[in-house]
Parts: sequence; structure tokens; C-alpha cells
Amino acid sequence: MIFREVEDRDLIASATRGHVEAYNVLVSRWEKRIFNYLLRLVRQREDAFDLSQDVFLKAYQNLKKLDDPAKFPAWLFRIAHNEAYSLLRKNRPEGELTVEPKMAESSGGLFPIEMTLAVRGALAKLSDDQREAVLLKVYQGFKFEEMAEILSCPVSTVKSRLYTALDLLKQTLAPVNIGGAE
Amino acid sequence: MNCSAIDLKAFVVGELGRQEQTAVEDHVRACPGCHAELERLNFTRSALTMLEDEEIPRRIAFVSDRVFEPRWWQTMWRSGQAMGFASAALLAVAILAHGFVRPLAPVSGSSVDTAKIEQRVEAQVAARLNTVIVKAVNDAQTKQAADFAKVLNATETRLELQRQSDLATVQQAAEYYRKQLARFEVASNQGPAQ
Repeated sequence: MIFREVEDRDLIASATRGHVEAYNVLVSRWEKRIFNYLLRLVRQREDAFDLSQDVFLKAYQNLKKLDDPAKFPAWLFRIAHNEAYSLLRKNRPEGELTVEPKMAESSGGLFPIEMTLAVRGALAKLSDDQREAVLLKVYQGFKFEEMAEILSCPVSTVKSRLYTALDLLKQTLAPVNIGGAE
Repeated sequence: MNCSAIDLKAFVVGELGRQEQTAVEDHVRACPGCHAELERLNFTRSALTMLEDEEIPRRIAFVSDRVFEPRWWQTMWRSGQAMGFASAALLAVAILAHGFVRPLAPVSGSSVDTAKIEQRVEAQVAARLNTVIVKAVNDAQTKQAADFAKVLNATETRLELQRQSDLATVQQAAEYYRKQLARFEVASNQGPAQ
């Protein structure tokens, strides 16, 4: 028997024809990634969940505008990026850059709590742009070109943000680094 | 290769090609400074990946909405087989109708060359039949296009009205919550009653 998993492109084609169930399957494949991306960007669980719903609703409404189904991930994260920044701009109109980490309400992981807190704290110290570059590269595995599409900026800007963020993270995480090597 | 030509960060985040990766690996083996920097970057990356994904509070799902469901004529339009069947049925109806509406006139006289007459009649029938079929197909296509445009127009109008109605509802709700919020703020500024 030949088993072929239904691919995203098939689900997209079906959803474009108005089949909501196909779209729900597509949502179930991507909701966790989108939610975590938004959670680390806006740092509020309720906001992240509300934004996730908005992202998938907008994606459904605009699915026909997606020319190449292979670009669905970058296209979806582009919508998520726009939604998140819309909220961030609304919440911080005066150009306030950073706030203290507000992740205490989230669930714990399997790793030492000290390390988890250190990483969250280090991410929180980054600017929104730098943090998003780290999220898209380290947590979502996008290529520089895809990140440039999502963020609507040149690849050089993407690299600059990511490299600066990595330098800052390296410094912040130094106390828990390997033997404190400097 | 000197240190300035080495992009350790691109190496750590997996953006280098195989050849560039090998060049970095060779350089790092020979350069203690870059080796230490690479360790720090690798550790930073490992620390970042320790942050586990969280579960989404509730599953996101959409219910079927009639607005987004394809109409019968949309399904029909998109189905080649159904269109083919409809065309064949239309053709059959046209042939039958022609046969009943325009019966052949009886031929009298025994001296007539029936073969020639039959041949001529067949040619005329074929010509008329062809005309009727072409006309019927054209009429059907025109009617279908008109129906399609009409339904599309009605749907667009309905959606626009619905959108405006939803917008008004949302604005009312936003206004209500703004007032509520202002009320709460006033109440919290006043503090508890003495």
C-alpha cells in the first residue's frame, strides 16, 4: 500500500476552494509554531493567542492571493509579523523599547529553571527587531532570504540584526556559559 | 584564511554552504581565538534552544460558513465532467426538439428518385441541426454567464452589507468598552469610599 501524507499545498488548494475542514488541518499543523513565535515576540499568552487567531483568519481570507504554495510558511509568518508589530506599536506608542520579562505565568520546561529564566531574560533585553530575527532563525529555521521577505527588509539588515542579537545574547548568557569562558 | 574572513555566526546558524563550512572548520582547528568564540556561540545557540515550545491554550478551528461555501453553480462550473454531461444533454434535447417540431414533409409520386431526395434531406437536416446546436450552445453559455454575473453581483452586495454591519457592531462595541474603561479609571482614581 502506498501511503502519501497530504501535503500543505493540497490543503491550501482545497481550502482555496472553500473547504474549511482542509484549512482546519492546515491550522493544526502551524498553530503551535505561530503561537510560540507570537508569544516570544509579544510576551503575553492571551495576546499571543488572540493574535494567532487573527493570523489564521487573515490567512484564510487572503489564501487566494498566495501565488506559490511553497511560500506558505514565510507568507504566514509575514502575516504574524504584521499582526504582532501592529499590537506592539499600539502598546508602545512612545518608542519604549524594552520591558521586563513577563513570562512567569507560562508553563515550565524539562530543563533547569535557572537556564530557562536566563534565556528568557536575555531575549527580553533585545530590541523587538533583534528578538524577532533570533526567533525566525533559531526557533523557526528560516533562511536569510525568507526572513528578508517576512520582515520586508534587505538580507543585510536581517544579518545585522541577528548578529547583533547573538553578540548581546552571548554577553548576557556569559555567567552561565561554559566555564565562564571569555 | 584569516580571522576576519571567517563568518562564525553564519556557520553557527547554518547559513553556510558545504565548502564554506569546511573552510571554517579548518580555520577553527588552527586558531584558538576563533575556536573559543565558536564555543561561546555554540553555547549561546544551545541555551536558546533549551527554551521549549509552549502548548497553545486552545485549539484554533474555523466552522463552515455558507458565505465561504462554494455554490452549486460554482461546483458545476469548476467540474469539467459535469459541464461535459450538461453539454451532451443539451445537444440531445436540441436534436429531439428539432425532430418533433419540424417533421419531414411526406413525398408523393413513384417516379421520384428517393435516393437523391433522401441525400438532399439529410444534408438539409444536418445543416439545420448544426445551426440549432450552435445556437443552443451559445444561448446556454450566454445564459450561464449572465446567471453567474448576477449571482456574483448579489453575493458581493450581500457581503458588503454584512461587512458594513459588522463594522458598525465592532465600532459600537469598541465605544462601549472605551466608556467602561474610562469609568473604571475614574473609579480607581477616586479610590474606596470613606
